[in-house]
Amino acid sequence: MIKQILLINGDKDLADALKTYIERQQYDVTCATTFEEVMHKLEKNIWDIILADPFINDEMVSCLEAVKKNCPHVQIIILAQKDRLDTAMDIFESSVIHYLETPVNSKALDLALITASKNISRKKKLDRYSERLAELHGTQDLLNQLFEEVPCYISVQDKNLRITASNKRFRRHFGGQIGGVCFEIYKHRTSQCHECPVVATFQDGKSHSTEEIVTSKFGKQYNVLTLTAPIKNEKGEISQVMEMSTDITQIRQLQDHLVSLGLMLGSVSHGVKGMLTALDGGIYQLETGLVQKDDDRVLMASGQIKQMADRIKKMVLEILYYAKSRELQYEEMNAGTLAENVVNIVKPMAKKQAVELDISIPKTLGKIEVDPNWMEAALVNLLENAVDACVSERDKKDHYVKFHVRKNSKNQISFTITDNGIGMDTETKEKMFTLFFTSKGSQGTGLGLFIANRVIKHHGGTVEVESKQGKGSQFCICLPLHKPDNAKIVEFPRSDR
Amino acid sequence: MKKKILVIDDDLNIRDYLVSLFNDNGYDACLAGDVKEGLKVAKKNKPDLITLDIEMPGEWGPRLYRQLSQDPQLKNIPVIVISGLSGHQYAVVKAVASLSKPFDRDELLKIVKETLT
Repeated sequence: MIKQILLINGDKDLADALKTYIERQQYDVTCATTFEEVMHKLEKNIWDIILADPFINDEMVSCLEAVKKNCPHVQIIILAQKDRLDTAMDIFESSVIHYLETPVNSKALDLALITASKNISRKKKLDRYSERLAELHGTQDLLNQLFEEVPCYISVQDKNLRITASNKRFRRHFGGQIGGVCFEIYKHRTSQCHECPVVATFQDGKSHSTEEIVTSKFGKQYNVLTLTAPIKNEKGEISQVMEMSTDITQIRQLQDHLVSLGLMLGSVSHGVKGMLTALDGGIYQLETGLVQKDDDRVLMASGQIKQMADRIKKMVLEILYYAKSRELQYEEMNAGTLAENVVNIVKPMAKKQAVELDISIPKTLGKIEVDPNWMEAALVNLLENAVDACVSERDKKDHYVKFHVRKNSKNQISFTITDNGIGMDTETKEKMFTLFFTSKGSQGTGLGLFIANRVIKHHGGTVEVESKQGKGSQFCICLPLHKPDNAKIVEFPRSDR
Repeated sequence: MKKKILVIDDDLNIRDYLVSLFNDNGYDACLAGDVKEGLKVAKKNKPDLITLDIEMPGEWGPRLYRQLSQDPQLKNIPVIVISGLSGHQYAVVKAVASLSKPFDRDELLKIVKETLT
């Protein structure tokens, strides 16, 4: 672009001569020979270079200083007679780019103009860079904000599965350990997960997805849908992998409720069909009994119908147990009786599996307030689980399950279930009370321990678990003697057991 | 002579119902509560027809059917499946009929009559 030069000089002839000379070098030159003219031209146009004699008027110096201050991009070259050049230098110092003596040496003028032009292009470039840098900062801020605020857990991992970056939500729920290992932070495991999508992405460069159950630093479990994406370095190699996990706990809970409803419907429909048939039979016996005037048959039929009515009533109640919240039916009963009932249910199973039962139920336990049906189901679940753990363990020759009941120092009834079965790893231990988590493959529903835990909690009790893989597990259940004031409603499907 | 029908079902009420129904309609019904007893009664009484439940404690119905079909004296006895189990129609492929509980008693009597004629 042609540069605009304002040439300020009181000597009109000199100004014209300079204008002619400079314009040959592809500049656009405008002359101003009086201060008024200068003011007018300055207001009217934006100049790239001002070539000025600062002494044409008393006010010219301050005028040039004002120009320098307000338009820092303007390149000023001072043009003065030899005896005034020093004064000019004292006034303007380094704020102008060049000082030229009149009469002007054409070479010096050329050089001064070249320097001015270079300064202008450099300045323009700098302005463009600054603009881009500001844009870049804005984009970076936006991306950073997106990464930080996205409502998912995001972590970036290196080849050793060490976390190199994580977003706010991840740090809030899983801690901010940069350099920590993914499986330790996400699952509290000591070794790599069996099928790791991050490893798969490092191998094939593609995105992989899995569904996981992860445990927060507060011990809370989340169902997450995990997706990975490769991050490549400047050579195109996968240097890191980003893992993004979406919390789908609520969706899974809803599905779990539907699944349990389905399971429940399946199990009761067979029973309902049988009962309807028997009821139909009762009606038939009643009708034919009346026709045949057979009193015995009528009596038998009415007994059958009554029995069926009772069975249907019981089943409807059970369906309600499964499907709806209900209040726990507390009864005061002997804690020893409760424990013995549980043992009697589990005994045949243990015998069949050749697992020795070591039972200790003192007669002096006294009374406890529980919902016998629910509590029995919960304890049976835990005991059966202990037997299952023994069955899964194949290295030891003899297996046992100990069921010791006592009154503890806090005046609670404590039920301790100890087995020398397969034991649990940290992951299984953390998740065992999660709905539909099972370590038994297709053999387990993931309902039993979930229900057992909830029943105990609703009774105001506690469950403590110790377990060592290959050695066995110990569950210690402590129940208060009296029902708690708050936990009365049970809001989950009932176990089949 | 009255035709003999063996009723095999683990539910006492349903057994009684079927026995009364068949006796009232001119048949001679006997009963069994599980597979083992069913096989014993079948061998002893040589019934003309068997009604069989599928899901019973211990062994389940189709196993009795296989045992019957391996016995030269019993293999030709027609079997009617009466079950509350879904998919029961596939359990005993060679059954004369497969009825769902609760069944229509006229339909059952009609099938029995047709089978025994």
